[in-house]
Amino acid sequence: MIELTSTPMILVAILGTIGVILPLINIAKNEGGSNAFYATIAFGALIASIGVVAFKILTDSVLPSALFSEDVLVDDTFGGFFAIALLIVAIFTTVGSYNYMKNKSQPAVYYSLILLSTIGMVLIAYSTDLVMLFVAWELMSIPTYILVGYNKKDPSSNEAALKYFLFGAFASAIIIYGISIAYGLTGSTNISDVIHGFAVLDADMVPLALLSIGLFIAGFGFKMGLVPFHMWLPDAYEGAPPTIAALLAAGTKKAGFAATIRVIVLGTVALNMDWTFALGVIAVMTMTIGNIAAIMQKNLARIFAYSSIGHAGYILIGISIAPFSDIGIQASLFHIFNHAVMKGAAFIAVAGIIIALGTSSLDKIKGLGRRMPITALGLVISLLALAGVPPLNGFWSKLMLFGAALDAGSVVPWAPWLAIAGVLNSALSLAYYAWIIRKMYFEGETEKRVSEPKSVIAVMIFSIIFIVGIGVFPDPIIQFAGTAAPTMSLSASP
Amino acid sequence: MGLELINFVIVSVALLGIGIYGLSVKRNAIRMLFAIEIIINAANLNLVAFGRFIPHSGGQTLALFSISIAAAEVAVGLSLIIVAYRMYQNIDIADFRSLKG
Repeated sequence: MIELTSTPMILVAILGTIGVILPLINIAKNEGGSNAFYATIAFGALIASIGVVAFKILTDSVLPSALFSEDVLVDDTFGGFFAIALLIVAIFTTVGSYNYMKNKSQPAVYYSLILLSTIGMVLIAYSTDLVMLFVAWELMSIPTYILVGYNKKDPSSNEAALKYFLFGAFASAIIIYGISIAYGLTGSTNISDVIHGFAVLDADMVPLALLSIGLFIAGFGFKMGLVPFHMWLPDAYEGAPPTIAALLAAGTKKAGFAATIRVIVLGTVALNMDWTFALGVIAVMTMTIGNIAAIMQKNLARIFAYSSIGHAGYILIGISIAPFSDIGIQASLFHIFNHAVMKGAAFIAVAGIIIALGTSSLDKIKGLGRRMPITALGLVISLLALAGVPPLNGFWSKLMLFGAALDAGSVVPWAPWLAIAGVLNSALSLAYYAWIIRKMYFEGETEKRVSEPKSVIAVMIFSIIFIVGIGVFPDPIIQFAGTAAPTMSLSASP
Repeated sequence: MGLELINFVIVSVALLGIGIYGLSVKRNAIRMLFAIEIIINAANLNLVAFGRFIPHSGGQTLALFSISIAAAEVAVGLSLIIVAYRMYQNIDIADFRSLKG
């Protein structure tokens, strides 16, 4: 049994209690209670959780990155790394929602669903058992289906929710099918047992194991927005409330990567198959299609949706070369952390623009640099970081990813092409980021300043400090990612 | 024993195929939800059958988890479909076209 004082249990206790109590308070108060009241409670719970995770890691009371465990959950630095990134995203969403949810109905339910979804994401990163992983996956997904459709009078929110639900439920269904095959082949649902079972499988059973891994890739790929599983993603991100789009792009997507690293990477190592090449092809396709489609969009939320597809491709570079390079997974983790902050900030900026101007259309943001200076500055910083301009944090993680790909070239000849594709895509992405910046600062002469939502300003200031700070001193996070990255061999386990 | 493991697996794979076919061909939201349910139940059938043939391994428990989670998912899905129906008087997702790129 996992101890009650381990990090995941404490997180479940804090976030779960608050998440359940919020709607109860709402009922006790006869649907009363202000938005500010519920937002403060949710914010406090998230800050307490991130404090617990940081305290546990700083006092060395967690395991080093042990990807295998007898238990269903393991309290290791890999989970802690994702927990910190995901909790930061949840805090961004909660703070950014404070202004967005003014005068909207049912704030208690809204914040409660954010907290419940956050538990799911965090538990995915900690889970070492396929059953736990599936339950956590659903705990993450089901609240987000409701949150995407939160503006239920708005047809686009509605449509986004329905599309997101159908694809999300399909993804869950094929994940559980993949789990059932893995269980049938190995007689266990513990990830460690499954991987070791795969490694000693009869030759005529190997195709079934491949089918299982393929179903996992498809199921997790839906959430991560990998091409060709990305069709729902732009619609869902555009129609969802922009704060929830931040949670999806920066949160649930990263949880998908956590699940991928826990299951697929190790599975492919166990099967000793050349799946890395297939993942590399998916990585190149994902980033190219994401970035090319982003150029043609007319709406900020949609541009960022496609850009987050592109970034899923960059992250997948590190994962696909994991067996050949020591720093592949580390680079991926570093980019996951950075992308969570950058994309979270970008979507919260969009939320601020929608609160103040009522639209996120690219034509309507002319002169934003004068109308909403702080939001615009935060958006510019996160755009430049997404493009990988030095000395911001996105530059270092992309450098590490592409460096790892070049490094792996000595083992697999196709790896450097991933780096080349990545660099070309970064240049391509700079084109549409620069286009947004041009619209904001060099067009629309006579605009007056409008009042900016306070909570969005708070997120912007925090993310500017964070992005520039990590850009100038990247070492602590790189080392943290290094301790969180698992070793890619089977010998490290029973 | 009359029934071999393979019979269950064949039925389960057939159900998976039916589910994927339904999801890719039908455009009615309820039908698509049914198709997803068929896939989940195919997985449940697998789990229960494997759990029968691999003793003491918890497959039946996982099936219970899966069934209850699927029920929660269906509740959310149907509520979304009802909201959509009130707005469009229609649940054909091909007719939902307010979002385009």
